[in-house]
Amino acid sequence: MKFSTRELVNLAVFGALWGLVEISLGSVLHAINLPLTGLSLSVIGVMVASIGRLFVPRRGSTLFIGVIAMVLKLFSIGNILIGPMVGILAEAILAELILDAFQKPSLAAFISACAGSALWVIVQPFVTGILLFGRNLLVVWFDMLDSGSRLFGIPSQAAWGIVLALVALHLVIGGIGGWLAWKLGNVLKIRLGGNAPESVG
Amino acid sequence: MLKQAQSTLATLEKPKPLLGSLGRLVIFLWALGMVLIPPVERGTVPALITLTALGALYPFALRRLARPRWLLILTSLFLVNLFFGIPEEGTDLLVLSLPLSSVAIFNGLQMVLRAIVILAAVDGLSASVDITEVAGLLERGGLRGLGFSIGVATNLLPDLRQSSTNAWHSLRMRGGLRANWLRGIQLLVLTVLTNALRHTEEIVLAAEVRAFRPELSRKVSLRIGSLDGWVAAACVVSLVLVVVLV
Repeated sequence: MKFSTRELVNLAVFGALWGLVEISLGSVLHAINLPLTGLSLSVIGVMVASIGRLFVPRRGSTLFIGVIAMVLKLFSIGNILIGPMVGILAEAILAELILDAFQKPSLAAFISACAGSALWVIVQPFVTGILLFGRNLLVVWFDMLDSGSRLFGIPSQAAWGIVLALVALHLVIGGIGGWLAWKLGNVLKIRLGGNAPESVG
Repeated sequence: MLKQAQSTLATLEKPKPLLGSLGRLVIFLWALGMVLIPPVERGTVPALITLTALGALYPFALRRLARPRWLLILTSLFLVNLFFGIPEEGTDLLVLSLPLSSVAIFNGLQMVLRAIVILAAVDGLSASVDITEVAGLLERGGLRGLGFSIGVATNLLPDLRQSSTNAWHSLRMRGGLRANWLRGIQLLVLTVLTNALRHTEEIVLAAEVRAFRPELSRKVSLRIGSLDGWVAAACVVSLVLVVVLV
């Protein structure tokens, strides 16, 4: 991954924005204990990284933005933040892989990247809970069912219903995030005097 | 007899620390290995050894874990495992008329111990290694230019925070969220992004005036400690012992 000075500065700006979202909005949302905090932060973060991809449309740029955000989160004051750090990095890797699968940035690529990263929010407790904190798989599974049951008002016995509803909710919110990121990214490009990415060859 | 004069550079050179950033990174990876490699039921001794070492190196990290917020999280981790970790048929104890399992108590304590070790290792690393050194380490892993980008991002953070707060306040005071809140949010995001990107031109010019070129830039230097090699060797040996014996 070799970027020019301009590209490195653009990546720094988007990395700082994702870091800022995690540090300021993340702290507020966690403090007031809103439901779906992880999903909101994940989608906003990947939206920022996807818009960054419009400005630096090269392989590795999304991962680079994610690593900057992760390092900023690591050094934010007075917290121990292994969960969010793993989350940021995993979401950046997922978004990078999905965006790399498309030839150039497009609406479909953005929607897939944001939806794929949003799905990670469901998977993450299984990875960090089991691998890092040694929690039982069943305990993590019941935790997820319990939170899904409270969110949708479905009885917790309907396990697959809850899982499907959670997956659908994450995909829809991620997809909307991807669509918004594409729309905002294009407007931003035009506002800053560049061409809309569709017209770039 | 006259002493041999020291060169100016030699006198200005900082004394080598005992542990450098590489040594601290190795300790972090070692701590993760010591608690993640052994199975939960046989991981107590390695976890206690690791916790002792981390406590000696980073006492502040353990003090931070004694804050109410973390105590609450660790207690809930224990309680969840205690009451939901083992099916009711597996209970063999009766404490305050609550049927409990000795296996669940042991597993709960083991998980709390593992969590404490991991949290202390992360906290210790982030507090003792400089942000530019982490960038330097990642640059050596293939992310060229990361040190420069992280430097720019760190310096941009306060400006971005201020400009985002200003944009939010102006939007709210003008009632931008009342009429069409979705449009208001979109405009807010656009304003924040535009403000952020307006800085890039100045930063690029400043970097180019200083003749910065990513392909020619030096990698961020890392602090090398005099004990780094020994620490790394000890970590590897202890991990091998854990793999073989536990």
